[in-house]
Amino acid sequence: MKTKSPLSRRARRAPRAAASTNESAESGAKYRGLLEAAPDAMVVVNQAGEIVLLNVQAEKQFGYHRDELLGQKVTNIIPEGFAERLIADDLRSAADALAQQIGTGIELTARRKDGSEFPIEIMLSPLESAEGILVTAAIRDISVRKEAEMHLARMEGRYRGLLEAAPDAMVVVNQGGEIVLLNVQAEKQFGYHRDELLGQKVTNIIPEGFAERLIADRTRSAADALAQKIGTGIELTARRKDGSEFPIEIMLSPLESADGTLVTAAIRDISVRKAAEKHLAQMEGRYRGLLEAAPDAMVVVNQGGEIVLLNVRAERQFGYRRDELLGQQVKNIIPEGFAERLIADDLRSAADALAQQIGTGIELMGRRKFGSEFPIEIMLSPLESAEGILVTAAIRDISVRKAAEEHLAQMEGRYRGLLEAAPDAMVVVNQAGEIVLLNVQAENQFGYRRDELLGQMVKNIIPEGFAERLVADALRSTEDALAQQIGTGIELTALRKDGSEFPIELILSPLESAEGILVTAAIRDITKRREAEANLLEKVDELNRSNVELGQFAYIASHDLQEPLRMVASYTQLLSRRYKGKLDADADEFIAFAVDGASRMQRLIQDLLTYSRVGTKGQELLDTSSEEALGHALINLRGAIEASGALVTHDPLPPVMADETQLTQLFQNLVGNAIKYQSPGIPHVHVSAAKYGAKKWTFSVQDNGLGIDSQYFDRIFGMFQRLHKREEFAGTGIGLAICKKIVERHGGFISVESQLGQGSKFSFALSASGEKS
Amino acid sequence: MKPTGRDAPPKDVLLVEDNPGDIRLTREAFRETNASVRLHVAYDGVEAIAFLTLQAPHFDAPRPGLILLDLNLPKMDGREVLAHIKQDVSLSSIPTVILSTSDSDADIAKTYQLRANCYLTKPGKLEEFESLVKAIYDFWLTAVRLP
Repeated sequence: MKTKSPLSRRARRAPRAAASTNESAESGAKYRGLLEAAPDAMVVVNQAGEIVLLNVQAEKQFGYHRDELLGQKVTNIIPEGFAERLIADDLRSAADALAQQIGTGIELTARRKDGSEFPIEIMLSPLESAEGILVTAAIRDISVRKEAEMHLARMEGRYRGLLEAAPDAMVVVNQGGEIVLLNVQAEKQFGYHRDELLGQKVTNIIPEGFAERLIADRTRSAADALAQKIGTGIELTARRKDGSEFPIEIMLSPLESADGTLVTAAIRDISVRKAAEKHLAQMEGRYRGLLEAAPDAMVVVNQGGEIVLLNVRAERQFGYRRDELLGQQVKNIIPEGFAERLIADDLRSAADALAQQIGTGIELMGRRKFGSEFPIEIMLSPLESAEGILVTAAIRDISVRKAAEEHLAQMEGRYRGLLEAAPDAMVVVNQAGEIVLLNVQAENQFGYRRDELLGQMVKNIIPEGFAERLVADALRSTEDALAQQIGTGIELTALRKDGSEFPIELILSPLESAEGILVTAAIRDITKRREAEANLLEKVDELNRSNVELGQFAYIASHDLQEPLRMVASYTQLLSRRYKGKLDADADEFIAFAVDGASRMQRLIQDLLTYSRVGTKGQELLDTSSEEALGHALINLRGAIEASGALVTHDPLPPVMADETQLTQLFQNLVGNAIKYQSPGIPHVHVSAAKYGAKKWTFSVQDNGLGIDSQYFDRIFGMFQRLHKREEFAGTGIGLAICKKIVERHGGFISVESQLGQGSKFSFALSASGEKS
Repeated sequence: MKPTGRDAPPKDVLLVEDNPGDIRLTREAFRETNASVRLHVAYDGVEAIAFLTLQAPHFDAPRPGLILLDLNLPKMDGREVLAHIKQDVSLSSIPTVILSTSDSDADIAKTYQLRANCYLTKPGKLEEFESLVKAIYDFWLTAVRLP
C-alpha cells in the first residue's frame, strides 16, 4: 500500500505537470532566483521523493554536485523522516499529510556525500506545479544549536547543585512570572512544599516589585528591563504560606535557558538586619543629640582614622567648619597619639587596642586650623555602627589646667626648697592622713628613712590628735575642721621608730595642691622646752614658797622678834630712867648704848616690815588723788617740818592709779629725806607733776639740800645703803628701797638727778587716772 | 583726878598676860600714874575664866572693873576668853581692852566682832606704853560710866 500509493498519485498528476512545462519555464526561472537567495539549504522534492531542484547551499551542506542529486531519492541525503512525510496513507490524503508538516520545524538527521551525518531542522512548504505537488524543504544545519543545547542541559544540572548549595533562598522565574525552579531554603523561607510553588506565579510569595521587573514595556526589551536590575539588592516584602510578611533583599541574575531567559532571584530574609538598622538609626539619632549637647568637643573617627562625625564644639575648638573636617584624617587636628591608638598591630586586635584606651584620659596636643597647638585631654569610647566600630573621642582643651599644673609644679618646687630649709621637722599630709612629703629634719626627728614614711599613715608617728584634726565630721566641713586648727600651736606626743615618745608642738597650715587640700605640719620637738617649763614651774614654786616664808619671816619679825625687843628697849629705858647718875659713869654709858641699840633695832625692824609689806600687804590700784596723798604725808611729817622750818610747796597734782597708803608712804619718804639731808639754811622742797606720754605722769620732789654724788645714784635705792655716818644722819638705809619698791609695784620707775651741794631731784612715773599700768 | 584716885577704894583690874616682863611693865606703868589699882594677873585663858567665874582657886576673886586681855596665851587664847566673857551676861558689861603686840588687821576685826571694847597695840617705847596705860586708867576706870 505504501509503495503503491505515491506511484498512483504521480501517475495522476504527471500529465498536468507536462502540460505546463512552457508556462513554468518562466516562473521556474523566477523561483530559482528566490531559491538561491535563501540562507538555508533548499531542496524541492516531488511526490516520488525525488529531488527535482536544489540550491547552492544544499550542494555545500551535503557535499554533492547539483547534478549528482537531481533526480535522486531524497532519502540519500535525509535517510529518515522526510520521504515518509510526503506519502499519503489510508487515513489522509497526500495534501493533508503535507499540511500537517507545513511550517513546522522538524528535527532530523542528514547524511553528507561522505557519509557523515549531522542534525538538521527542516521546514516544509508545498509547491503546486505542472508535475503535481512538489515539496520545498528548507534545511538548516543545527549542529551548533544542538551542541549548545546539550551544553546548557549539562550546565543546568550543575546549576541546580549550586542552587541547592546557596545560603539564600533561590527562586528561578520565567518571563511569565512563573516559578520554574527553587531550592530548599526557598521552601523553608516561604513555608511551602516545592511542588506547591513550581509553576505558580511568583507574586504569590513576593506580591510586589518582582514580577513587574520581569516585564518588558514599550520603551525597553525584556533583556534591557532585566539588565537594569541585575546585581542590585532590591528590598521588598515577602509573604509566607501562612500569610505573614517579612522583609527581603533580592538579587537578580539572568539565566539563559532553552525556555528563554529565566531570572534567578537570590532572596535573603533581612528581618534581623532591618531591626538592627532601625535600632541603629534610633541610636544614631539619639547619639547625635548627645554629641551636640556634650560640653566637650566630640569627634567620631572610623578605623581608617577618618572623621565621620563631629559636633559644633569641635568646630570651634579646632577652628574648622564641619565640612572641612568630615572625611579628613583625624591626624590633621590631633597629629600624634590618637590615630595610632585605633590601629591594631601584630600583638593585638583592633578591639583590644581600643579596649586599652577606653575611658582613660589621654593627654595630647591638638592643632588648630591655623597651626597653633594646645594641650588636650581625650577620652575614647567605642561606638558600634553599621560602618563597623567607630571611636568617639571627647576632647577637652586643658590649656588652663596645664598652666595651673605648671604653676603648681613650680610652686611645689619652691615649696620643697622651703620645706628642706625649715628648721622644724615638716610633714605634709593628705586628707586621708597619709604622709605625702617630709623633710630631712623629720627623718632625723622620728628616726625613719624618708621612704619608710612616705605613703604611711601619720598616726604612726603622731598617734593621737593630728589625724583626727584632718577629718570632717557631720558638724563641719574639711575646710572648717582645718581652719580651726590653722596656725595654732598644738601640743601632742610623737612616736619615734624605736618606740620612744617625745613631746611636740604642731603648727598646721593648709596647702592647696593638685591632690586637694594638703596639710603642712611644722613639728617641733619641745622636750627641752618642756624641761625648761617644768624647771620654771619648779622655780616659781620655790619662789612662791620662799615668798611665803619671807612673809612668815616678816610676821615673825613684826611679832615674835618685836616682843622680846620691846622688853629689852622698855627695861633698858626703865633702867636708864631710874638709875642714871646713881651708878658710875661707865654704867650710864653702857645703859645709853643698850637703849640706843634697842631703839635702832626697833626702827630697823619697823622699816623692814614696811618694806616687806609693800609687796604682801599692797592694796588694789585705784583712782587716787596724788595731792591728797601728799597732804597725808605732810601731816605725818609735821613734826620734822616744824622742827626744820622747811618750806614745802607743790603744783596742782593729778589723780593717778595708786594704792593711796603706799603713795602717801612714797611722798613721806621722799619729802622726809629732802628735809632730813639738809645743808644749813631753810630747806625748800617742791613737788611737781608733768605729763609723761599720753598715759603717765612724772612726779618730781626737788630739794635744795646736800645733793648726791652721781656715783651713788644706783646704790641709794638698794637695801641698807647709807651715804652718811650714823652720827650725821640717823636712818636704816631702807627708805629709798621702799620708795623704789612702791614705784615698781605701781608699774613705774624712780630715778634721781643731783649734784653735790646743788640739791636733788627724785622723779617717779605713775599711770594717769583711768589707765592700767 | 589724883585725889579722887587716892581716896576712892582701889579699882580691881584683871590683866590676862603670860609674859612676866609685860606684867611688870604694866604694874610699873600703873604705879607711874599713881592710880589706885589692884592688879590681878591670870597667866593663861583658863585661869582668866576661873578668876571671873569664881572657880578654884579664885573662889573669892573680886569682880574686876576692867579686863586687859592679851591675845596670844597658853591653853586658851585671848579670843576664846573674850568670846566667853561677852557671852556671859554677868560678865559682858565689864570693859575688856585688848592689849596686844599684833597690829594684824585680821586680829583687830575679829576681836571687835567678838565685842571687845577697844583694841590697843603695845608700843615699843617705855614712855609711850606708860602714857597708854595712863590713858586706859583715865578713860575706862575713871571717865566711863557703866551699868
